[in-house]
Amino acid sequence: MIGDMVRGLVTTIKHVIQRPVTIEYPEVRRPVQPRFKGRHWLHRYENGLEKCIGCSLCAAACPVEAIWVEAEVNTDDERYSPGERYAKTYEINYLRCIFCGYCEDACPTEAITMGHMYELSLYVARRRDLHQG
Amino acid sequence: MSETVTIYLDDRAIEAPKGMNLVDACKLHGVDIPVFCYHPKMEPVGMCRMCLIELGFEQRDRTTGEVVLGEDGKPLVRWFPTLQTACTQVVSEGMHVRTTTEAVRRGRKDIIEFILTSHPLDCPVCDKGGECPLQELTMDFGPGKSRFLYDEKIHLAKRYPLGEQIYLDRERCIQCARCIRYVEEITDDPVLQFYERGRRLQIISTSEPGFDSKFSGNTTDICPVGALTTADFRFGARPWELDSAASICTHCPVGCNLTLNTRLDRDAGGRVIIKRVMPRQNEQVNEIWICDKGRFGHHFTAAPDRITTPLVRKGGKLVEATWSEALELVAGMLKSAGKAVGALAGPTLSNEDLWALRRLVEGQRGARLGVWPPTMTGGDLIAEVGVAQGTNFTDMGKGACIVVVASDLEEEAPIYWHRVKVAADRGATLVVVNGRATKLDRYTRHRVRYHYGDEVATLNGLLRQALGDAAPDIDGFDQLRAALENAPAVDAAAAQAIAGATDLVVIVGGEGLSMAAHGALMQAAANLLVATGHVGRPNNGLLAVWPGANTQGALDMGFTPEDATHIIDNAASFEALIIAGADPADEDPRAAAALQEAGFIVATALFLTPTAELADVVLPRMSFAERDGTFTNGERRVQRFCKAIDRVGESRADWQIFQQVGAALGQGRAMPTPGVVMAQIVERVPWYAGMDYPTLAEVAPQFPMVGGEDLYYGGTMYKNAGGLGRQWAVAAEQASYQARVRVPKAPAAPKPGKGELIVVPVRLLYDQGTEFYKTQLVHRRVPQAYVALNAGDAARLSVREGARVRVRLAGTEVEVAARVRASVPEGVALLPLNLGVGPLPHAASVGTVAVAEAVGA
Repeated sequence: MIGDMVRGLVTTIKHVIQRPVTIEYPEVRRPVQPRFKGRHWLHRYENGLEKCIGCSLCAAACPVEAIWVEAEVNTDDERYSPGERYAKTYEINYLRCIFCGYCEDACPTEAITMGHMYELSLYVARRRDLHQG
Repeated sequence: MSETVTIYLDDRAIEAPKGMNLVDACKLHGVDIPVFCYHPKMEPVGMCRMCLIELGFEQRDRTTGEVVLGEDGKPLVRWFPTLQTACTQVVSEGMHVRTTTEAVRRGRKDIIEFILTSHPLDCPVCDKGGECPLQELTMDFGPGKSRFLYDEKIHLAKRYPLGEQIYLDRERCIQCARCIRYVEEITDDPVLQFYERGRRLQIISTSEPGFDSKFSGNTTDICPVGALTTADFRFGARPWELDSAASICTHCPVGCNLTLNTRLDRDAGGRVIIKRVMPRQNEQVNEIWICDKGRFGHHFTAAPDRITTPLVRKGGKLVEATWSEALELVAGMLKSAGKAVGALAGPTLSNEDLWALRRLVEGQRGARLGVWPPTMTGGDLIAEVGVAQGTNFTDMGKGACIVVVASDLEEEAPIYWHRVKVAADRGATLVVVNGRATKLDRYTRHRVRYHYGDEVATLNGLLRQALGDAAPDIDGFDQLRAALENAPAVDAAAAQAIAGATDLVVIVGGEGLSMAAHGALMQAAANLLVATGHVGRPNNGLLAVWPGANTQGALDMGFTPEDATHIIDNAASFEALIIAGADPADEDPRAAAALQEAGFIVATALFLTPTAELADVVLPRMSFAERDGTFTNGERRVQRFCKAIDRVGESRADWQIFQQVGAALGQGRAMPTPGVVMAQIVERVPWYAGMDYPTLAEVAPQFPMVGGEDLYYGGTMYKNAGGLGRQWAVAAEQASYQARVRVPKAPAAPKPGKGELIVVPVRLLYDQGTEFYKTQLVHRRVPQAYVALNAGDAARLSVREGARVRVRLAGTEVEVAARVRASVPEGVALLPLNLGVGPLPHAASVGTVAVAEAVGA
């Protein structure tokens, strides 16, 4: 009978002495692969000006039409990017985004890249957005 | 052009009209030859070298002229040793062309590579990117890689304003000179030129203000690269992101076909707005051109001061109300007004609006339907001898004669001017009959000048001279002959030109004319056409330069300018007035006071105009971009326009409003769509028979075949998929037509006394019209209010250029700046309308001009 009990617990005991495969998220975070495609980042030059020129090629490349860009003319008083054109509006709809990374490929100025951040369900922000007003 | 020649295109025999350009001929047979500098509407120059082909001719025996045959029995072809430019060739019998050989491919590749050595390739920030001929041809024929070092590229000014409206990017320019040729050859505003040479060759504007042309926007369409772009659309959107809707311009009677490109904009509160206005090809109306007023004058649709809700007068003030409240009030007031109901319809009401308004008024047994502004008349004559169906300025050349009377066409209807001018270039004879010099004078020897007030006598004189002793058998001719006895001899050469013309079109404007005088002038013009037998055939007949985009439609729907004058003159007798999309209080000095007398006034308006401020109920109407409908242009072509943007606020279309009021009055159910209203028009208005919406939306192949896959051929233009419209036939085209002339009854000419001048109000293209002036971009082109005087008169009145003067005419007095111009005839003062100095009379009258300080002293 004891033999039967031991035989029945073999798998359990084996797992007791093995290292656990789960990690204690969010206290512990597992690193992602270097080329992981998470949240997008729009980058700036070292002098603080935006790399994005509002050309909308990312939006054109986007297979799910998640990106919305509106361009405007830089003036000397109000300058966002080095050239004449900048993105007045830049929106990514994360409900639509499929993280394919085509936007990154399309960008002529390397302004948009996909970062490692994957925590996109922001409960507080979402709640505020939903309930305000 | 019926004669054809046979040419061999890639060893395939094709027929092409004799004298046709080789690029066009190939295009006609489905072979695209890439071009940059060649444009089907302009003379070829062979500058860009992109259209290289292999060219050969069949050998002919020098003694006999026979084609030499080879051993295989086929003609021997002598090929040019080098590649030739196709655009500089005209098709001729026995021409052999090869467009697909290795040599041709190589030649095109090298030309593209060469052009790109000086091109910045900044396509991501270029407004042309996505619809750029250079981009497309590089993808099709380019090398894919440049051997040229980037650092050796030439760098020139990138954002150079040629004027306020057009920006030039000198790096992107490939020196095809399409823009320079367009303004020099076609619009004759030689304001652009090349400057410097070699790789620094660049375009400059030589005028002040820069790029001073009324057609400057067209150069941005025909520019094969992003060198010329409009300030209006600067970074507005990428072309592939735009939606488009077919529309019709509302600024003048030409009825240019437009495409409204729209896109959502966060700055506009997430609304869809018009991003740019592009011409839509209609070879019978505007070809591929539009004027700058049409291109840039669309901002009123999104102006922040649009009326968004119905307004009802309570306690002397207009306060916001709901639609049901306002409509109920209007219906109640109309009911109690009984028969004493009148309507004034504005210039941009669609045919559906007009029909619904007519039904509403007639349903109440009202009889007065006025079309605003009541400056021109003669709709009956247009219906009798208007330009016949199929009339097209593009078909007019040698043998045709175009008479322009009492109109500064470039200011009043720029695309008429454009097409008349090009017809004159093709050899059409132009006779310009006017009281003063206009730009059209440059293209003719026949400039007939009259004293203001003698317009009718002048046309009568021309007719007498043109007829000579001939006595056509026409009803009423004997009386007319008797009346013509006293007509002055005017210009024998011009009369000769009219008499000798195979085709004759008379274009009648209304400059300086009262409505009665205009009616007489229209009759005189009709007589000229009928007596010389130029009616009822294509390219013959009468054309009026109406004051509004849909004045013709209003006349067709039974509205008359005579009723409009009657309403203003007898406003007190109207218990209820419906003023739809019109602004009499701002345009007629008598109207503001007269409207105070009227009973209940309901106005539909876009803005709180002076007329709307006088109204008891103001209803927000939709602009042309927010709804569907049809307009009828000056040539009686009924054309559809479609909804492009969402309505502003709670605005409704005029036809909806009138139908809803009618429904409340028990006139029957409101019709659901404008198409249904049109169906009713088709049924009841005989001229419009068969013009239902699907018919009006039909398209047919047009030449040149612009748009589609080959933006490089005609410029940035898209195929017309919105319809070409239909022109209705006039009485003279019917077999039952009885030619008839009548004696025109001209009112007496104004006779200035000592110290007095004839003050002639004139229309300018760039004015402070409520709708046009909402476009900020054009403000610098709208002049300060002025009066133009002859140097002699100015000296006599001691008026200097720029001095403030008081102008008095017909009970109105305004203070404006003086301009001294040699083009103004002696004894005449030209006073432009609509420049923000309040309402002015439209007819020429005796008046005075005096220095302002002197009056005060």
